[in-house]
Parts: sequence; structure tokens; C-alpha cells
Amino acid sequence: MDALVRSRGAYVCRSCTRSLRRQWLRGHSYSTAATTPDIYDVVCVGGGPAGLSLLTALRANPVTSHLRVALVEAQDLAKVRSWTLPPDRFSNRCSSLTPASVRFLESIGAWNHLARDRVQPYHEMQVWDGVTGARIEFDWGLGSAPPARHAVEGTTIAYMNENLNLTSGLLKRLDELGGVAVFDGAKVEAITYGPETEELDLRQWPLVHLSSGNQLCARLLVGADGANSPVRSFAGISAPGWDYDRHGVVATLEMEGDGWRGDQIKIAYQRFLPTGPVAMLPMPGRFSTLVWSTTPANAAVLKSLSRKDFVAMVNAAFRLSPVDLAYMHTQEAGQADEYSWRIQHTPHDPRAVPQEVVAVQEGTVASFPLRLRHADTYIAERVALVGDAAHTVHPLAGQGLNQGQGDVQSLAKTIEYAVTHGQDIGVTMSLEPYLSERYAANHVLLGVCDKLHKLYSASSGPLVPLRSVGLSAVNALTPLKSFLMNRAAGNPLKLF
Amino acid sequence: MRPALRCLPRRAIRPTPPALQPPAFTAAAAAAAAAAAATTTTTTPSQAHPALSKSRSFTSTPTHLHNPASASVNETEISHFSALASSWWDPHGPSRPLHLMNPLRHDFIRRCLSTSPDSSSSSSTTNLRYLDVGCGGGIFAESAARLPSTRSVTAIDPSPTILAVARDHARRDPTLAPRRGRLAYVNTTIEQLPLPERPADRYDVVTLFEVLEHVDYPAAFLDRVGAFVRPGGWLVLSTIARTWTSWFTTKLVAEDVLGMVPRGTHDWDKYVNEDELRGYFASKGAEWGAPQVMGVVYVPGAGWKVVQGSEKVGNYFFGVQKLH
Ligand SMILES: Cc1cc2nc3c(=O)[nH]c(=O)nc-3n(C[C@H](O)[C@H](O)[C@H](O)COP(=O)(O)OP(=O)(O)OC[C@H]3O[C@@H](n4cnc5c(N)ncnc54)[C@H](O)[C@@H]3O)c2cc1C
Repeated sequence: MDALVRSRGAYVCRSCTRSLRRQWLRGHSYSTAATTPDIYDVVCVGGGPAGLSLLTALRANPVTSHLRVALVEAQDLAKVRSWTLPPDRFSNRCSSLTPASVRFLESIGAWNHLARDRVQPYHEMQVWDGVTGARIEFDWGLGSAPPARHAVEGTTIAYMNENLNLTSGLLKRLDELGGVAVFDGAKVEAITYGPETEELDLRQWPLVHLSSGNQLCARLLVGADGANSPVRSFAGISAPGWDYDRHGVVATLEMEGDGWRGDQIKIAYQRFLPTGPVAMLPMPGRFSTLVWSTTPANAAVLKSLSRKDFVAMVNAAFRLSPVDLAYMHTQEAGQADEYSWRIQHTPHDPRAVPQEVVAVQEGTVASFPLRLRHADTYIAERVALVGDAAHTVHPLAGQGLNQGQGDVQSLAKTIEYAVTHGQDIGVTMSLEPYLSERYAANHVLLGVCDKLHKLYSASSGPLVPLRSVGLSAVNALTPLKSFLMNRAAGNPLKLF
Repeated sequence: MRPALRCLPRRAIRPTPPALQPPAFTAAAAAAAAAAAATTTTTTPSQAHPALSKSRSFTSTPTHLHNPASASVNETEISHFSALASSWWDPHGPSRPLHLMNPLRHDFIRRCLSTSPDSSSSSSTTNLRYLDVGCGGGIFAESAARLPSTRSVTAIDPSPTILAVARDHARRDPTLAPRRGRLAYVNTTIEQLPLPERPADRYDVVTLFEVLEHVDYPAAFLDRVGAFVRPGGWLVLSTIARTWTSWFTTKLVAEDVLGMVPRGTHDWDKYVNEDELRGYFASKGAEWGAPQVMGVVYVPGAGWKVVQGSEKVGNYFFGVQKLH
């Protein structure tokens, strides 16, 4: 295959560039290097998990591998490509990958390129209400047998993984496949429409102007450019939603041990607090990753604490009453002492909560605002949105990244169908199957996550007794539980 | 039934002295047939309409064959096409059923090619040369030209207006640029198109989509079209059966009961049944192989579905390989 060569700040397949340029020159009498757009079948803006898997899927499939594809990413991808950390250090940006996402990553040949010893499957979920104490336990135990096709994965609910491990693995797979014109370290500065000449009418083709001076003309422009998607703005697609007035605080934690059930059976924990859910997800060995949704003020306090006090707050979040916890958020310091005193007076079953946190890794405490956004549509003429560009979900279900993988799988399949039937892959007619396959499914999931958030964000009022009944009832109802677990494991939602 | 409103009144577009009618009106006709089928269900006729017993006249010697070469479009048609032309490529316009049907055409052609005795050799499934007769705005022609297995597509239609639309639309895709030689539109009737002298220079696949039901003398027409198929190549067409159901949906309901379209909009007598086509090709002796048939049904909201047996009722695909 063509090797990728670095030219003018971009990785471009040399022979492709040459032939493209030749074609262009043949067709047009004028040429100035700066203003001549390169023509691509797919230009993908955004080299996050969604964009990289889309390009990998297209390159790995013999039906679509002849398409000319380009990737535009603002960051320098060399850093992602060469990303490594020692075995006892973990990035704070982790996501749970559902078995469905993993199967997809396997099918495009990317999964083997991840550092697999840094991926942690988990087998149980413990979810409970911080106000009423009602609990729900999820496992693929007796009575909630996993669907037959999960036989190979055994009892795995999902896999915890660092986002950088995923993007770095995807880039390695893409390098192996070759044939992608990569424009990294290049921001999209403007998107306009293409030119019209005697021979060609590209006035409906998006023309992407990069900070590097390059211009890329796209048969299909894919917005994989995250929550503030410039591609979405270009297409005039609005993404209504709301901010939760919550921040997600993340951190990498070191625990007292491998977990209550050792290294073989790992457990994910989530407790609903009046300010939002706090989740502890297992990483390899003694490590866990934290996602704590809370008010911006609380998040600011948490970020300002010493590492010792931060550790105490996390332990408190899974054990103390919401009232105690609220008090500790008002302290400027001294949470460690406060916690060791209060925990003695708080009856709790240590095995029903995560093991004690003993340390937080330096530089891993960070926060980000939470919001719900759902684009009005995912497609427009010569535009498709995937991943966070199409929808941003509350992280309580850990579904954001997986929804993006579902989008990509569906869009890649839609493009494949269009190619085998001679359709122009950019027109809405060709893209419609992608929209109809993904929109309703994503919308249901967004709605469920949003309702859960609202239901569990109230500390008093009519909803509280209701939700305790809710969780206890769910726990007793095996079929409903299987349904919820199948969602968590990314099994397709059957709407009809 | 709404799409039927956009059908051409058949009386208006047929020259009065019946001439051998090339696929002059395929553009509109295709939309009309597809629209008609949009309301077609798989109901089997419980009681044959009297007309059903009448079989389609497959005469190849039209009694009044007036200057077939001049069989082109009249002014009424041109203005009608102009109106239709602007919406030809609108995915939500009246041609939507045709856009939705297009992928099935490729599925069917692939199915036909795969039954060729030599289908394992790539020579019969790659580097294909297509002739699309009655190409209209180019929905099929464009898509065929984009396929990696295609060498070239020659697409003909007698309406200059609709061809202008087709050519203009093709400019939106660099792959289809004329200098690439993948797609050529020719404003002609099949009668006027020169037949390549050497049989080997004729076409691998000749397509005739939603055309036959608008032709007065289908046997003569098929004789001409069939000549363009190279030995070993395929003639692939789609049309609509003349059945109680199609009569009911396109004639009775649309015209007589609801009065949505003027009487005579559909010349239902011209619909061609699958067994009549079989009979025609069988009558040519060993020239043609055994036909492939695929019936399709339009399910509102879901698009076209392949339904076995529905070729007897409504829209269907028909493919035959030229053996000699
Ligand atoms: C702190 C945090 C924690 C999260 N935790 C979880 C979790 O636990 N589980 C989970 O499932 N999900 C989680 N999510 C969500 C998850 O990270 C996202 O759903 C996922 O990253 C979306 O991937 P994406 O490829 O769609 O977009 P992104 O990862 O946002 O990638 C977009 C890319 O586009 C590039 N870009 C944007 N604009 C331009 C431009 N103008 N020019 C060039 N390039 C541009 C950006 O540089 C970026 O690389 C979390 C999100 C955050 C912020």
C-alpha cells in the first residue's frame, strides 16, 4: 500500500496527491497551489474515537477502501500515536466500552492494537440510591442469563478503557491500513461550498479551509468534531438541549486492593446522590477511575483539595449520608480527619461499597461541564454527524462513546450499501438509512439518561419514595433487569 | 394515490396515428408506474376483470408504422417534462419511488450476472458496458456509472429537456465527468441509435426500466432493443403487470372512482404480463436463455420489498441472457 508521507504539515499519500492534482489540472486550465482544492470522497473532521473508527472501518472494508478519504484534526496526532504510560499510571479520561463496541472494533481490526493489559472488563454493577438506600445489583448471574451470543465474553458487562488507548490503537490500525490523507495540527477555519466550472458543479460540495492553507472538497463531509461541532454549524443543524448545571469530576484512584472479588470478578459502583451520581469503575489491578457528577461549586471545591482530603471525599461519597457529605463540601480543608471521625458513626456494609481509596494519582483530578444535546438531524446534503457532534449524553450510563461507535458502524454500513449500489455517498437519499437507524435509538437512550438524572437529583419531594420503590422493584424484576443490562452491554434496542 | 396525480395523461402524449413508440416518455412514465405501484398490494384477483382475459397483442408488425425514426416528443410533452424535470432529483419529490427502487435494479442485475455460466470469470462481471434505454434524468445511469465494475454507460432518451437535466446533474459528480468516459448521454431513440456492427462490440447489459408499459408495439420494440445485447450479455427490464390489482389501483380508483386524474391517464391495456414476456423470448428459439424474474412491492413508508410471486400482480424485474 501507499506509504503515508509527511508533506506540508500533513500526512498525505503521495501518489494520491499527485494523481488528484493531475486530474484537477487536466480538468481546469487554472491552477494556483494555494487555491486548488483537493477532492475527496470523505473528509472527516475530528480525530477522536468516532472519527478514527469511521475512517478505520472505511479503510478496512474492501468495498469502501477505494474511497479517497481525509482526516482533519486540530491536535497533533503524533502524540496520540506514541502515547504510553507506565503500567501503574492511568489517564483520567476513561470510557466503558460495551461488548457491542468491542465486537465492532474487532471487526475493523483495531481491537488488537489497543494495549490490552490496560483494558479492564467488569462483571457486576452495584447501583444504589444515596437517600433511600434502595439497591439494584446487575450481573449476568442465574436468572438473568446473558444472550447466547455473549457466551464468549462470559459474564462481561463492559470494558473500562482509557480513551487514549482507544484512539492510539485506532491510529496504529489506520497507519497499518494506509491510504488516509491526514491533516493534523490543522484547525478548520471555515467551511464554504465548492466551485463551479464548465465541467463540474461542486456548488453543493462542502469546501473545508484549514489553518494550514489546504482546501479539501468533500463528497461527504463527516462531522466527528465533538460537542461544539463546526461541521454541524456549517450544515445549519441545531442541537437543542440543556446544561445540567453539573460538572463531571474525574480522577484516577488507587484502591486498598484488587476489589472485593479479586482480579477476576470486577465490580462497577454507582451511587445516586442528590447532586448527581458518583461512579467508581474498575481499572486493572488496584486502580479505579472516578466520574462524579456534582454542582459546579462542589466540583471547584473538590479540585482545590489536597490529595489526602480529596481521597477522603471520594470515600465519603460512597459511604456517608448526603447531609454529612454536603457539610464536608463546605470545609476548606480537613476532610480526611472529618471523614475518619464520621465513618465510625455511620453504619455501613463495607463489602457493599467499593474498597477504600488510598491515593489519587497526581494531576488526574479534572472536571468538565455536563450537558444534554441532541442534533435535530444527523444528515444534510453531503454532511453526516457522528458521535458527540450528533449527541451529548449525561455520562451516568457511560454510553457517550458507545453511542458514537454505534453511529460509526451504522454510517459505515450505509456508505458500503451506497457504494455497492452506485449511489453518490454524499446525498441525503443515500444517508437516510443511517439517520433512521440511529436517531430513534439514540433519542431513547438520551431520554432515559436524562430522566434518571432528574429522578435522582431531588433529595426530597414526591419523587424520592417513588424511586426507592423503583430501584427495589427493578431489582426484583428479572426481565426488566435483563433489559437494562442489555442496554448497558450495548445490545441493540428493539423499538418495534 | 396522490402520486398518480403527477402522471402524464397518456392520450396527450401519444401521437394519434400509432407510430412505433420508442421509450419517449420513460421519464414521466417511470414515475407514473412507480407511483401507481405505490398503492399496489399483493392481493390476488379474486375475480378476473373482463379485460384480464384479453392478452396483450405482441405484434411485431404494427399496421401503421409511420416513420418510426421521427417518434420523438411533442410540445405538450416537452412542457410537461420541463415541469417534471426540476423535481427529478428531488429526493422527496414525485420521483422518490424511483430513487428508492434504484438499488433493487442493481441487486437484480447482479443476480442475473451471477447466473451466467461464466460468472466465475471476472470478464463477465467486471469492466461492464451498459446501454440504458429511456434513461430519464439518469437515476440508474449515474449509479451504474459509479460502480467499480462498470467500464461505461451509454444512456439514451428522446427527450432533450430531460437529458439536459440528466447532463446537468451529472456535473455534480467528478466521477461522471464526460472526459472520464464512464457516462455518456445521447439524445436519441433506440431506432436512431446505430447498432454496433460487430456483435462483440454490443453491450454487456442493456437496461429498460419502466419503459415497456408505455410502448405500443412491444415485440418490435424488444426486437430492436435486444439487438444491442452482445452474445452472452443481458437484457434487463422492469415493468408492471396487467392485473386486476394494477387495473384497480391505476385505472378504477385513480381515474374512475376518485377522478384524481383524467380518464385515460393510464393505458392499462399496455401493461405487460410476465408470462407474455416469457412467451416473447421463448418464441425467439435458442437466442435467449431462461428468464430471471423478481417481483417487488412498494410498501408505503418502508420502500420497495422483494416479494416472491408478486411479479404476477404488480411491478417486476425481468432479465434474459442472450445466448447467441
Ligand atoms: C471528561 C469527560 C469524561 C467522559 N467520560 C465518559 C465515560 O466515562 N464514558 C463514556 O462513554 N463517555 C464519556 N465521555 C464522553 C466521551 O468522551 C465522548 O462521548 C467521546 O469522546 C466522543 O467522541 P467523539 O469522537 O465524538 O468526539 P471527541 O472525542 O470530542 O473528538 C472530537 C475531535 O474533533 C477535534 N476538533 C474539534 N473541532 C475541530 C476543528 N475546528 N478542527 C479540527 N479538529 C477539531 C477535536 O480536537 C477532537 O479530537 C466523557 C467526556 C468527557 C469530556
